[in-house]
Amino acid sequence: MKLQNRLCTGCRICEMICSLTHEGEIAPRRSRIKILSDWPKEERIQVCVACRPKKCIEACPQGALHWKESLQLIEEKCDLCGACAEACPFGGIRMDSPSRYPHFCDRCGGAYECVRWCPPKALARVGDEN
Amino acid sequence: MCGGVPPRHSQGLVMKTETGGYIGKVLTINLSFETIRTEDLDSDFAASYLGGKGFAARILYDRLEKGCHPLSPENVLVFSSGPLTGTLVPGSGRCIVSTKSPATERWLDSNCGGFFGPALKMAGFDTLIIHGKAERPSFIAIDDGEVRVLDARDLWGLDPFTVEKKIRSRLGAEFRVASIGEAGEKGVLFASIMSEARAFGRGGSGAVMGAKNLKAIAVRGGHPIGIALPDQFMLTCREAFNEMAIHPDSAGGRQEYGTNTILSCMNEAGIHPVRNFQKGFFQGHSEVHEEAIRRYYVRHKACQGCPIYCSKIAEVTEGKYKGFVVEGPEYENVWSFGAQCENADLGAIIAAESLCDSYGLDAISAGNVIGFAMECAEKGILKESEIGFPLRFGDDEGMIKAVHAIGRQEGIGKLLGKGVKRAGEILGAEGFAMHVKGLELPAYDPRGSSGIALAYATSDRGACHLRSWPIGAELLSPEERMDPFSEEFKAEFVKTQQDLFTVVNSGVICLFATFSLTLRHVARFLHTTTGIEAFASPEEVLKCGERTNNLVRLFNLREGLTAAEDTLPARFLKEPLSEGPSRGRVVNLKPMLEEYYLVRGWDEQGIPEPQKLEELGLIHG
Repeated sequence: MKLQNRLCTGCRICEMICSLTHEGEIAPRRSRIKILSDWPKEERIQVCVACRPKKCIEACPQGALHWKESLQLIEEKCDLCGACAEACPFGGIRMDSPSRYPHFCDRCGGAYECVRWCPPKALARVGDEN
Repeated sequence: MCGGVPPRHSQGLVMKTETGGYIGKVLTINLSFETIRTEDLDSDFAASYLGGKGFAARILYDRLEKGCHPLSPENVLVFSSGPLTGTLVPGSGRCIVSTKSPATERWLDSNCGGFFGPALKMAGFDTLIIHGKAERPSFIAIDDGEVRVLDARDLWGLDPFTVEKKIRSRLGAEFRVASIGEAGEKGVLFASIMSEARAFGRGGSGAVMGAKNLKAIAVRGGHPIGIALPDQFMLTCREAFNEMAIHPDSAGGRQEYGTNTILSCMNEAGIHPVRNFQKGFFQGHSEVHEEAIRRYYVRHKACQGCPIYCSKIAEVTEGKYKGFVVEGPEYENVWSFGAQCENADLGAIIAAESLCDSYGLDAISAGNVIGFAMECAEKGILKESEIGFPLRFGDDEGMIKAVHAIGRQEGIGKLLGKGVKRAGEILGAEGFAMHVKGLELPAYDPRGSSGIALAYATSDRGACHLRSWPIGAELLSPEERMDPFSEEFKAEFVKTQQDLFTVVNSGVICLFATFSLTLRHVARFLHTTTGIEAFASPEEVLKCGERTNNLVRLFNLREGLTAAEDTLPARFLKEPLSEGPSRGRVVNLKPMLEEYYLVRGWDEQGIPEPQKLEELGLIHG
């Protein structure tokens, strides 16, 4: 995904649509994308950016993470330690509550709901115009 | 007193609701006894009053002692969200505060954008009710359902921005804070409650909070908001977003210029009040207009869940006001510190609004009372020696000094902090004290808009443009134009719009979102979010608004309101505008008001008829 903080208005529609899509309820705290605000400064968007180094996979002591189109978790292997979340320099992984597993962007299986709903188009798919 | 006094809500707030949208919990805190009580939300109560303003109306009607002093511990402060708050419904970032206003000594509900409302819900409560007075400066912290009243002695005296920072560093960065500044602590009758540079602005709720020794409320949580009919909800929201994305208001001017998008239109219509409503056409418009203001914008800013992002971050980068930053400036304040004071320095306007935010002052009333003082000075009623500095129309430095004096409650600020009505009485200047029921006026001269004249006169909280806004239909709408000078059809229009706006303020969503949508959309939002069958009917939803408006009327009557207060300042009724497109006009209020009472089902004294109350289920026959 392509993120443009300067366009972000801080409306958090991405957080709402993300939690609605994945959890079936509006629970921004469980969202896989996060907006950080420090008024009046620019908003900061945090989400998995599909980076090249993939420190999360490297950091996982259980080998529970791998990459296939997006980050994938094998829940049976995960011991909920949170090393992946700590290793990510982009703030793209969050330890979820109540599930306790790491939460990260799965591109909605290619549907990119947050991109579709973002009113100021601060979020875009790489390769899209804008 | 009234045709029939409705009984107190019999069931209280019991029985858990199984519907979506609501959290289902109401929190009551008594600061005097430090007691905390949680109740389940009653589903019938929810279906009758929706949320937000509706909830508050019922709660204040039931719990507030008649005639209590607004700044006494007996006054009750209600923060309320609604079923739509914090959902994907556009403009859902809002919250209502309700109390007995210290400015009007009547009903007050005041509405704030930003993130506080959704955060209150996610902290676990639809509604927060505050009674009593804390022994020492305190603040309330609600963390995922856990409620504490904490010491705020170290926060007393600080501005809201600093308070938020301190609370966040103490409790956690996710906390959303609503707090008061110096003005609220010192009892300025138009003190606001601030939350992240947005305000519960009008009517003095900040002074009520200050009188309770309550500096701030901090909320956070992960409580999810359920959706009753998810598929239909998503379709409804998507449709609404699509409508808003092509509407000339929500996707055009309002995004580009913020609320200032209508500045030129209002001035050209001759209803942009100048010099404390002495004129309706601003010569300084060549310097103060939406294009000029846009040059100060740094970026767009949105409240939670809003695709319009009408909020702007503006900064003054040069001149004597360099360095002032504001979320705004909003249309109303561009007027109140602009044309109202005949000031054409945009830097000063931004500085004044920014200072109001820091002191926790309603920037509409602050500009009003300063313009009023300027007219007093011009007429020799207030002498420069009494004011302490030169305060003349067009003098930006005097205007800024007056904001400081009010915020700090020093010198002339003590008088001006009482608001236009009381200052006018003290100075014997009632003739040009511009207020309705004690609330200062917004930025539209009613001599050029009959509709807004009736809206001001009949608004439950005094002069207000957000109870009904006929300006849109009279001067802006391309589709449903009404003659702004005619009295015809205005009663029915204002009544219906008041009921709709109360629905919106009970939902609780933003009025601006509904400018490009209809009652039908709002009803579908309510129905698909909550699953309450009655909300499938727009007529039933509108009836909820009418029910609340009638209950608020009963509240006001109980507090001593009479039909004589449903009026306008003498200037609008007697002094014709001298220039501009509305020149020569005065307001012809009487026929509109008579018709309004009639369509409302109220008698000639403005008292709801028993049949009306029975129809709305407020009394049982």
